[in-house]
Amino acid sequence: MTTHQINRRSWLQTSATALTSVAAWKSPIIANAAAMRTNAKACILLWMGGGPSQFETFSPKPDHANGGETTVTSTAVSGIQISSQLPATAAAMKDLCLIRSVHGPEGSHPRASYVSHTGYLPTASVKHPTIGAHVVQHIGDQESELPSFVHIGRSRGVFSAGLLGVEYDPFILNSANQMPANTELSTSKDRYVRRLGLLENLEDDGSTEGSRQFVKANRNLYGKASRLVLSPQMKTFDITQERSDVRSSYGDGNFAAGCLMARRLVEAGVTFIEVASSNWDTHFDNASRTNTLCQEVDKPYAQLLADLKQRGLLDTTLVIWMGEFGRTPRINSRAGRDHYPRAFNVALAGAGVQGGQVIGATDASGNNITDQPVSVNDLLTTIYDALGIDSFHENISRIGRPIQIVEDGEIIDGVF
Amino acid sequence: MTKHLNLVFFLALWCFSPLVSFAQSPIEIAQKIDELLVSETIVSQTNICDDETFLRRAFFDIVGQPPSLEDVLVYGLEPSVNKRSLLIEFLLTDKTYGANWSRYWRDVIMFRRTNDQSLLGVAALESYLTDALNNGVSWDRIAVDFITAKGDIREDGRAVFIAAQQGRPEETVSEISRIFLGIQIQCAQCHDHPTDRWKQEQFHELVAFFPRVALRPQQEPRSFVVTATDFVGRRRTANANNRFVGTLEHTMPNLVEPTQPGQVMTPKFFVSGQTLPAGTSDAVRRDSLARWITSPDNPWFAKAVTNRVWAELVGEGFYEPVDDIGPDRTPSAPKTMDYLATEFTLSGYDIKWLMQTIMSTQAYQRSSLDRRNYDQIPFQANTIQPLRSDQLFDSMMSVFEISDAGSEGTGQGPRRSQSPRNVFADVFGYDPNDPRGDVTVSIPQSLAMMNSTFINEQIQARQGTMLSRLLQEVQSDRAAVQELYLRVFSRRPNRKELNTSLAYIKQVANRGESFEDLLWALLNSAEFKTRR
Repeated sequence: MTTHQINRRSWLQTSATALTSVAAWKSPIIANAAAMRTNAKACILLWMGGGPSQFETFSPKPDHANGGETTVTSTAVSGIQISSQLPATAAAMKDLCLIRSVHGPEGSHPRASYVSHTGYLPTASVKHPTIGAHVVQHIGDQESELPSFVHIGRSRGVFSAGLLGVEYDPFILNSANQMPANTELSTSKDRYVRRLGLLENLEDDGSTEGSRQFVKANRNLYGKASRLVLSPQMKTFDITQERSDVRSSYGDGNFAAGCLMARRLVEAGVTFIEVASSNWDTHFDNASRTNTLCQEVDKPYAQLLADLKQRGLLDTTLVIWMGEFGRTPRINSRAGRDHYPRAFNVALAGAGVQGGQVIGATDASGNNITDQPVSVNDLLTTIYDALGIDSFHENISRIGRPIQIVEDGEIIDGVF
Repeated sequence: MTKHLNLVFFLALWCFSPLVSFAQSPIEIAQKIDELLVSETIVSQTNICDDETFLRRAFFDIVGQPPSLEDVLVYGLEPSVNKRSLLIEFLLTDKTYGANWSRYWRDVIMFRRTNDQSLLGVAALESYLTDALNNGVSWDRIAVDFITAKGDIREDGRAVFIAAQQGRPEETVSEISRIFLGIQIQCAQCHDHPTDRWKQEQFHELVAFFPRVALRPQQEPRSFVVTATDFVGRRRTANANNRFVGTLEHTMPNLVEPTQPGQVMTPKFFVSGQTLPAGTSDAVRRDSLARWITSPDNPWFAKAVTNRVWAELVGEGFYEPVDDIGPDRTPSAPKTMDYLATEFTLSGYDIKWLMQTIMSTQAYQRSSLDRRNYDQIPFQANTIQPLRSDQLFDSMMSVFEISDAGSEGTGQGPRRSQSPRNVFADVFGYDPNDPRGDVTVSIPQSLAMMNSTFINEQIQARQGTMLSRLLQEVQSDRAAVQELYLRVFSRRPNRKELNTSLAYIKQVANRGESFEDLLWALLNSAEFKTRR
């Protein structure tokens, strides 16, 4: 955002709301209660793409026909039961705050995913920033050699920093089992450094009075990019550096590798990591497919929490487990469940979140929320609050429109 | 991809007769534009760029790729005084012109998509636009085609505009207004526009041209079809998740009391005030809207596209951002803007005429400078611009003397197939609607340029590459450095660059290796990635 864009709209000076927004924009630190209360440094979003079934995960309903064949297990917290497909997660219950009453406005994957990541419905005129972009803009380490926002895994939609600009875009790893694209040197290190020197000299020789901006921007960029690829911290991206017993404690598969990578990145000071699990869109054979997915997710999820805790990082790291919506209470004729945004589950842990509790409830059938409904925007507001970010903060769109980080959200009672 | 435009042939043959003749001469109109611009902006320096710069700039702006080595040499030797005009005319007849600008308009439309399914139609969209632009189809015809489109998005690219917004009336009319009028009326969707004159009713009256439109999925082959229904039976109605069918009329929701029924709106075009009654068929609604938008009586239709094309070519629009104009905005040179838009309307909305006219101005042909600061006078120079992803990709293809055959026409859209061009676009693509000064470079871009296997294979001095041929043919290091600069930057190195390069070659003491490094450095420099 340039001052140019702020200045060019006279109404910013005339409208009362806009005056506030300019003031908020200019203040780098919003000294409000939320910012003072927390010292969260990082956030891991475990994204369950496709929309996980709440009945086979955190809201089993064994006493109702809608519950299907899923059985329950007791957890480390007495009185809280979850699906027996998540035994390791059940054991970690003391760290988890389950929210069983989340509801969203959308039932299509791309639109609901967009809403969950941005707090807004998609529109052609404004590209709203995704959670990770807001988070790194506010609490990211600008001096870090590693990127502050890392997205791990292929998922249906990878959301961008939108109007915040590409410097807050995610650095994308298709898989945690490979080094990031184009970070392996194509030559020896000596020759690489020599090439960079030649580039710098030739750009000095060739730059003219009128082209200094581009040359300068290019030089900054190559400085950053080469600091990254030459950094000793690049080994953070290599999970084979972990002992084999540590690796096996996370289990197998891409999601497990992603969780292990997320822990390594948090240790190295990375601010926001999104790890994507996909295929939760179980329109048929819901029970067996969800079972497989739970096996892929359960162990790494619990181990990630345990590792963070053991290293003293859970107090400063928010871990979110969520998808774009839940699945229908009624099991369809193909033994599947369809999209259900009216009541679904999210789990939070770390960064001051009170673990060992359940917030909200649905009725026996799972159709309706009966206690403490939580909108997606309430959830996002709570996430930003946990990270010490003022969700009323306004960014200015390309055409001078102030856009709040989240509108109409309230902090969920009882989470902290 | 790169082809050697045979300038020798062209210059010899066409010096005497223009390729196209227009009612109003682009060169005369261009002179008037320069006079008006000087009177409005007090141009203090009028440095006209040299021929090498002009050649490279004109190539990028018209055909989206740099001139070949032969083009640079032939153009440099050509003595005609009007060779710039001849070059513009010639390039506008090249088929690559349509391909280049179809990609620009594709990005204008698709970067703002709210529906990824529309990517299935991207190849058809490009193909429609390429043909239309090459054949000189007028801009009003193109607008009418998009606004009134129906059909399968994989077969008819015109339908992709509506599919990009999933046929949702609010988003579709917002995009029609933004792209064809430059007016962001969607700000009035939920409340009256905070700064402009537009009222909430006016937005919803515009939406009322589109309630009957829908986007239906189709199996075998999987696709989507833009449809419209004038009878809504007892079928599934549109809901929040899809829009398989439309509704007969548009209802403006009651935002004060959301549970109360909204207000049924009748179509009314906010610019002209022209209306249609409730019950009008979809065909009449959309035809009327398209006619009213493209009418010569509506100044915003010509201004929106004139401003955009001017901004692409000169580097800065009269209005910025280019898609936020309208009666409540002040352009930086109002008389010039009005004059150019009026003459463009008189040309019959001829895009090639517009290109030729703008490129004939001194404003276009000035030396380039970095983007000015806000407090500096506009249009003192042509502004340096980052190349769009396709232009950069084609530049590399041109330098490497390879073709990207097979990387297009997959029917899967630019973000789906893993062709080199599309992988490249994932990293280097940017939204051309955004102010160009806000387009910033990213770390993945420099990583790709520095380290990608694709580029590093092509810069090798081993058998089969451009560099190996060059080093074989040119024995003198000095001449080889000069030729490499001509190939990569379409210019010769200056004295300092030549000395630095020769010193480096001497120091490395391995001819192949040092030239690989030199080529690597040139490709990674800001100059290669910009058009000046």
